[in-house]
Amino acid sequence: MSEVKTEGVLPAVGPDPKAGRSGEDASGHRRRKTVRQYLEAYAFLGLLVIAALFFSLWSETGETFPSEANIRTLVSANAVVAIVALAALVPLVCYEFDLSVGAIAGLSSIFVASALANGTPVFLGILLGIGLGILVGLVNAFLITRVGVNAVITTLGMAIILAGVINQKSGGLAVTGDIPLSFSEFGSSTWFGIPKIAYILAVIAIGVYYLLNHTPYGRYLYAFGSNREAAKLVGIRTKLTLGLTFVISGALAGAAGVLQVARAGSADPKVGESFTLPALAAAFLSAAAMRPGRYNVAGTLVAIFFLAVLNSGLNLAGSPQYVNNYVNGAALIIGVALAVRLGRRQEL
Amino acid sequence: MRSTSHSEEGSKVLRANQVSKAFGATQALDRVSFSLEKGTVHALLGGNGCGKSTLIKILAGVEQADAGTIEIRGSEHDLRWITPARAREAGLQFVHQQRSTFPELSITDNLAIGRGYESDRLGRIHWRAARRRTARVLERFQIAAHPDQLLEELSPATQTMVAIARALQDQDESSEGVLVLDEPTASLPAPEVDLLLSALRRYADAGQAIIYVTHRLEEVFTVADKATLLRDGLFVDTVAPKELTHEGLVELMMGRAVEQIERLRGKPEGPVVLEAKGLAAGPLRGVDLSAREGEIVGIGGLIGSGRSTLLKALFGVVPLEAGTVSIDGAHERIATPGQAMAAGVAYVPEDRQKDAAFKELSVGENLSLTVIPDYWHRGVLNRRKEHRDALDLFDSYLIKAESDEAPLSSLSGGNQQKVIVARWLRRNPRLLLLDEPTQGVDVGARAEIYELINRAVSGGAAALIASSDFEELARICDRVVVLRKGVVVAELHEAELEAESIAQRANAEVSA
Repeated sequence: MSEVKTEGVLPAVGPDPKAGRSGEDASGHRRRKTVRQYLEAYAFLGLLVIAALFFSLWSETGETFPSEANIRTLVSANAVVAIVALAALVPLVCYEFDLSVGAIAGLSSIFVASALANGTPVFLGILLGIGLGILVGLVNAFLITRVGVNAVITTLGMAIILAGVINQKSGGLAVTGDIPLSFSEFGSSTWFGIPKIAYILAVIAIGVYYLLNHTPYGRYLYAFGSNREAAKLVGIRTKLTLGLTFVISGALAGAAGVLQVARAGSADPKVGESFTLPALAAAFLSAAAMRPGRYNVAGTLVAIFFLAVLNSGLNLAGSPQYVNNYVNGAALIIGVALAVRLGRRQEL
Repeated sequence: MRSTSHSEEGSKVLRANQVSKAFGATQALDRVSFSLEKGTVHALLGGNGCGKSTLIKILAGVEQADAGTIEIRGSEHDLRWITPARAREAGLQFVHQQRSTFPELSITDNLAIGRGYESDRLGRIHWRAARRRTARVLERFQIAAHPDQLLEELSPATQTMVAIARALQDQDESSEGVLVLDEPTASLPAPEVDLLLSALRRYADAGQAIIYVTHRLEEVFTVADKATLLRDGLFVDTVAPKELTHEGLVELMMGRAVEQIERLRGKPEGPVVLEAKGLAAGPLRGVDLSAREGEIVGIGGLIGSGRSTLLKALFGVVPLEAGTVSIDGAHERIATPGQAMAAGVAYVPEDRQKDAAFKELSVGENLSLTVIPDYWHRGVLNRRKEHRDALDLFDSYLIKAESDEAPLSSLSGGNQQKVIVARWLRRNPRLLLLDEPTQGVDVGARAEIYELINRAVSGGAAALIASSDFEELARICDRVVVLRKGVVVAELHEAELEAESIAQRANAEVSA
């Protein structure tokens, strides 16, 4: 077979479509999923459905859980957490942790609420929230890629500093005051029975999905997460690529802060902190759902709503608040454990 | 068992019977049997995917067989329930390359870890006793080193010998254990390989039975008494390599004749592609180099001679301290891989696992990373075309993979390397830089990789190949530039182009 084909100039396999041969080859070479692969991909989604059904049918929660009011609160509150989780997801694809996403959302909501209460126009308020997120993201990116501080340390330090800023700005009290009605109404009303905030989540989720799966940049992120050194050697500008993930993360977390103000009609200085853990847990768990072994958008959403249903159901059944801590903490650990296991399986 | 007879022949220390193992629909091993005699080096050979890694994993207890037994030291063990602990107990000692030692610790520490230090009842270590014992072990294995030396200070071959000594330190010389070496020379430079092989020969002559897994056939001829060949999971034959020719052994291994690639050495007359002058980077000083269209230029030299640094500098990985580079007559500033790629340079790094493979990503994604912006059109990534092109690349680059969606790690080493080469050649580079392009690759895939390089240069590219395998350089290059301590010491053409002459120039100062 290995004759030296001297005349054999390499066929140009650049982007230049060869029509008419996709069908056969596509079916011939595509990998069929085994039953186990289906199970791995959709088990989590199944769990979400089972949990929701369970709480709808169980006598303790059968009245309260499936009620329209509960579902609506559940969806809109967790739409905000889901956006924070998507913020954490982007650097996580590069295998870097952003622990400041919750704090950025908190910062954004405090500043947006007080700006709106002081009569700033709504669109400026929205820009302010997102802008603050981008600013913090830029500082994170600079420290991580230029100064070379470890990302966990950088973003943990940043989260603590931001908690200080939030406290200074709010005096530790919730910012209420005159938030324009049009703004807070948007946060509490529905279109076709679904909270408007959920539509915003859908738009952002599609955006992040598009970024990760349908742009060269997204491909670079997965490559970077798989092998940094090799990423550099295929010409990826690694510092820029990584730095940008923290800026995107900041912008998304800032947007989540704005939506939180719209939803609650006020800003609680503690709310950001409460986002961090479930958001990170969901981002980690995403590698165990929908596309096993890979951090992904759909998996993040499944994980967020699985945790939400579990927490809401348990609360309605009268279990004490600390049980939620058990659930979220265990979810974080199990998420990482599953991601490691599934990642390793893929290597075999 | 004729374990009482201690004659060279017939004294079997290990017998594997009817070992089978399937992964899903693939039968990795199908009723494989072989036996090993005392005091022999027994090579295990086969192309990629022949099942030899699976067999080794089963012997190590890392994987369990579906059926089969081994007899060792007169007792029989069922391989369906083998574990690493049971394998060790039975008398199988494994040395994996560079995985089981601690470079920053002393030899004494390396020998004691896992085994335990000489210590008193309170757990205080008796350093003198530990050192004495280490010195005894070093003497027994004829390793010229001091117990207090850090492992990383030793040459790579000596480090491997320490690892072997560690595995065998508690086995007294009369016992009939088996030493299994899994590609111990894969990352060793040529002179080091000889050192290790002669050590193995000594151990075998002293009565040690050794199973030796390697891709390098020359070593089999040098050191192995017997060789067992596997192909597609089946036992082919156990032969005495000394009675066979190189081609004969390859044919048995691959099940077909692999045509040796010989380049027709002419003088490439094409236009100059690369013109580098006065390069300085790392150990390199004042290196001038040129390469023409259609030319394969070898870079020979020992470790530390700057052969890898030269390629890295041309690809913008290592900064150039001085010198100029021009490609196709245009002066290029190459400070990053991105700039090098824009100038038409491609680079296949030496360490595939560390520097080139995206193991978790699919084969298709691995193939397209160098050209992914080309698939991005009007805000859409054309994944269908990416898929179609991947299948075309499978054909034209001789890649054997189940599908372009399979993770890269599911491919054999040779096919992974072909994916990396294809990833670069699809860009139609002007200058192709390859560092140890056939490391850890079997004979069949090696010939295919040479063919791919040949095709690229006959398409008008120039190639630079750095290698510690001087045979390889002599065989496939038009011209070889020899580096020593960062300086070009020789340039060998046509008739002078022999592995020995490269080695001579590369070593000259050392031996003088």
